[in-house]
Amino acid sequence: MTATSRNRQKKTTFRLLAPGVVWMILFLIAPIMMIVYVSFWTQTTFAINSTLTLDSWKNFFASEAYVGALWTTIRLWLIVLTLTFVIGYPAALYVGLMVKSKTISTVLLVLCVIPFWTSFLIRVLAWRPMLGKEGAINIILQKLGLIQTPIEVLLFSELSVIIGMTQIYVVFMVGPIAFMLGRIDHNIIEAARDLGAGFGRIFWKIIFPLSLPGVVVGAIFVSVMVLGEFATSGALSGRKVNLLGNIIVTQVGSLKWAMASVVGVILTILLGIVVAGFLRIVDLKREI
Amino acid sequence: MTQRDPIFRLEGVTRRYGNLTALDGIDFVAEDNAYIALLGPSGSGKTSLLRVIAGFETPDAGRIWFQGRDITDLPAHERGIGFVFQNFALFPHLTVFENVAFGLRHGAQALPKDEITERVKSSIEMVGLAGLEDRSPEQISGGQKQRVALARSLVMQPKLVLLDEPLGALDANLRERMQVELRAIRERLDVTFLHVTGSETEALAMGDKVAVLDAGRIVQYDTPDTIYDGPVVSDVAKFLNRFNLFEGSLENGIFTGAFGAVPVTNPRKNKSDTYAIRYDRTQIFDAGDANLPGPALPARFLASEYLGSSIIFLFETEDQKTVEVDHHLSLGEPRPLTVGENYTLSWNPEHAIVFGKETAR
Repeated sequence: MTATSRNRQKKTTFRLLAPGVVWMILFLIAPIMMIVYVSFWTQTTFAINSTLTLDSWKNFFASEAYVGALWTTIRLWLIVLTLTFVIGYPAALYVGLMVKSKTISTVLLVLCVIPFWTSFLIRVLAWRPMLGKEGAINIILQKLGLIQTPIEVLLFSELSVIIGMTQIYVVFMVGPIAFMLGRIDHNIIEAARDLGAGFGRIFWKIIFPLSLPGVVVGAIFVSVMVLGEFATSGALSGRKVNLLGNIIVTQVGSLKWAMASVVGVILTILLGIVVAGFLRIVDLKREI
Repeated sequence: MTQRDPIFRLEGVTRRYGNLTALDGIDFVAEDNAYIALLGPSGSGKTSLLRVIAGFETPDAGRIWFQGRDITDLPAHERGIGFVFQNFALFPHLTVFENVAFGLRHGAQALPKDEITERVKSSIEMVGLAGLEDRSPEQISGGQKQRVALARSLVMQPKLVLLDEPLGALDANLRERMQVELRAIRERLDVTFLHVTGSETEALAMGDKVAVLDAGRIVQYDTPDTIYDGPVVSDVAKFLNRFNLFEGSLENGIFTGAFGAVPVTNPRKNKSDTYAIRYDRTQIFDAGDANLPGPALPARFLASEYLGSSIIFLFETEDQKTVEVDHHLSLGEPRPLTVGENYTLSWNPEHAIVFGKETAR
């Protein structure tokens, strides 16, 4: 290849890349840099100016409420992630592997998605009449005589937030796992059986490892959404559970841009670590 | 044969899929330590039969005996029968070594680590893959995958290995080499291979015995030369792809077809009247030649196909039927032929095999 043609090819590559790069800079890199920048601005009660200071960062780590919210976010994320995996994997196993007919497995996946036909907020708020003191679950349990007084911890508690989030996000775990399981060649499973392996061995040594990329993708989906959550905790916790997302909402609401930015930066870093950690488990580029 | 039980035995094995009967009451007894080829066209039920023996599917009726034991209701993982899949079915996430070791590690009996390593190593060496233990399945060629699949089954020291069109995914060159190797490997071990194939040349070349399957039934089970020389029904002659078959009618020992009326002896019982003559028994004569060894079939020369050791000449009869003549070059140079010219084909009637609804009294 001559130097000029190589040069021309380089130019073509650059031209093809340019729209994407410009888009990313304008709508991803620049806003993130802006948030980082604003987090160092000086915040007074009614105004904000661009004098650089570490005050907001110091305030965040000095406040028990803020640091507490960070831990609550991490704790709830781990619980919801575990629950979506524990509930989602068997469902995916059934849809992706056990159901022989492709049509039925597609129908089942569509059934999983039907709740998405209503808005997110409706789905969250629908848990109130379910879990409330005089809600469906308490009424049924009382009618059956299983309990005498209603269980109050069901609503406006951490439990209700966990139930709500798990129900809303479990489908993001089911989808990718079912997809990976659906791609497993049935001959491979039969080969393992022929070699003398029982169901348990086949599951742990063949099926689970082959579905791992789906688990990782599902976990990334769920993590990204749960870590940034504020609506479910706002609607179902009765303000008892504060997540980083809720703090951002209140800080922005009271025009405390610097503090909102600090929390935003912390949340972004946390997400970056989580996603990078998951991507270390499997090489997704190889799988997809 | 010794007095021992046969390695496996099928008793009226039947398998239906809805209205379709894939296996129709198959009775079969397999010899110990043999290479059995199972030949059948696609849709003849050969893969179903293999899957039923392996235990991936249960028969609707009939029993399966393996080493003197009824295994019909035994799940696949307790049968101890090896299976080599057409698409190899290697575990994509495991190395060659781990693929071969899988059965030893996760099978019924727990083995000490050293023994596993040793058996896996020797098994990999046997199929000629030493040095590739740490590769993953996607880093090796098709032929190597085939060997891994074979080693993975043989490491379990099964007495019976089922091979489902094992050479189907390989190119022609490799296929021939694997044919020789499969036979050599089998002879070294005391094991029966049941090799399913749709290729008549493969079946005849590889099997100590060949079973021909048609429409869910085993129609002939014999040595390759017996089958080659004496197919019992016209369908077998058809799969062998070595016979010119002529439809006609058989009455009172006279077969009437495109080549006129010919007296025949000992016709074989069949569902239709068919006259079969092998490609290499068919000879070419000038049109109008009076010195014919037998019946005269007028035909137009279409084309020839050079195969190295022989030449195939393609002719077309008046009723648009293609007739093949196989001329082996060790018999001397073939006579020159002109495309489009008419010739007469003839053969020694003693070499013909006649199938008929009417059999010899």
